[in-house]
Amino acid sequence: QESGLKIRYPLSHTKTMAFATMDLSFLSDPGVFAKGQHAEDDDARGDLQMARSIDIQSFPLAPVSSPYTFCEDVRKHGNAPGLMDFKHGTTTLGFVFKHGIIIAVDSRASMGSYIGSQTVKKVIEINSFLLGTMAGGAADCSFWERHLARLCRMHELRTKERISVAAASKLLANIFFQYKGQGLSCGTMVAGWDKKGPSLYMVDDSGERFKGERFSVGSGSPFAYGVLDSAYDRNMSVEDAVELGRR
Amino acid sequence: GAVNMPLDQLSVDAVKTTPFERRFNPYDFNGGTTVAIAGDDFVVCAGCTRMSTGYEIQSRNQSKLFALTDQTVLTAAGCMSDVTTLRRMLGARLTQYEHSHAAAMSSSAVAQLLSVTLYYRRFFPYYAFCMIGGLDEEGRGAVYGYDAVGSFKRDDYGCMGSGQNYIMPILDNLIGHKNRLDEKKSFTAEEVVAIVKEIFVIATERDIYTGDSVEIKVIRKSGISTEVFPLKHD
Repeated sequence: QESGLKIRYPLSHTKTMAFATMDLSFLSDPGVFAKGQHAEDDDARGDLQMARSIDIQSFPLAPVSSPYTFCEDVRKHGNAPGLMDFKHGTTTLGFVFKHGIIIAVDSRASMGSYIGSQTVKKVIEINSFLLGTMAGGAADCSFWERHLARLCRMHELRTKERISVAAASKLLANIFFQYKGQGLSCGTMVAGWDKKGPSLYMVDDSGERFKGERFSVGSGSPFAYGVLDSAYDRNMSVEDAVELGRR
Repeated sequence: GAVNMPLDQLSVDAVKTTPFERRFNPYDFNGGTTVAIAGDDFVVCAGCTRMSTGYEIQSRNQSKLFALTDQTVLTAAGCMSDVTTLRRMLGARLTQYEHSHAAAMSSSAVAQLLSVTLYYRRFFPYYAFCMIGGLDEEGRGAVYGYDAVGSFKRDDYGCMGSGQNYIMPILDNLIGHKNRLDEKKSFTAEEVVAIVKEIFVIATERDIYTGDSVEIKVIRKSGISTEVFPLKHD
């Protein structure tokens, strides 16, 4: 499977010995990191095992010579008017301050040049202490964040401990890396509280993941950064922070 | 020149001299418009019955409304073959659910199921613009609108298909009460059905893919009633 990764192996003998005992299956299947160790157990539902697992092989691809650009090609040639105008969310921002994290989103969604909705919910509750935002493709964001909620819950049940924000954002980033180049469009922020306090991560559809204090994603983000940077203060009160997000 | 040539020779020359491309094109736009409006204790779903391809009409009597349970209706415009397959996928899952839970699926669960079903074809989408109309757990009307890959949201009204751009502003004003100064009133099911008929007459006027007749289903707690209202055939 061509993944475009270049892995350099260390030449020292001791390291090679260690490698011999490691499980290197991830080199051929990067999806391993996106699923979690117990993916097979999760997907087997006994007699009702009929839902397909969320696996890269399970998404049907069009029988053309370049399946990953199929959606773009159809859009360009106009054979299916309106089909590939997926709903897109526009501007979201988030910042960490002394008392926690503020997430501010607008509520418009566009479908091509048509305003799909003026009342979209762009903040997705992954669980009661983790939030994800939606910028980019609405279906992509809501589907994968819902999937992330399932993985987080499984983690909680197995380890009897809430998942850290770093781990949750890493899972999401690995999923996007797996589908890199196939046309997913997502700029999402994962925000939450864990043992280390409030954390904010920005996860991109190319699999990039950054931890930070202030982020804005979407078409209005340059303007949002301007307002945010000028008035941000880590020690502001909750009311001031909410007002800044609103502005 | 070329017009006077016999037909078979025309095509042979065209193949030899003009470049053309072959492309895998599984999609065909069959037109049609669908509308769904939710009320306090009812939902009205409507879809015109015209099915076309290019500038031709294939059928004047093709339904776009499908009752999934006795409280939920799927309306889908776009490509009829994809819509039919989507319906069968949903039907299979609904039947399995009913067998294992001894109860029909609730509207919100059907809405989520449709979203996931559409997203499983993210890289080769169903050419279907769907809406689900149903009664929620409290008995209030709910309409869920979808894009082609399953992003959905609950609304009070929605409209999809070729006549969407003509109809949506009217729905925004009348039902959504946007940009109006008078007091918002809630409509009864009969009033909404009358509005829907007028809306389809209006859309038929300007949209070539809308017409022939409109099938209207009203979902109430007691069940689903159907009515067919004729429209212009041109």
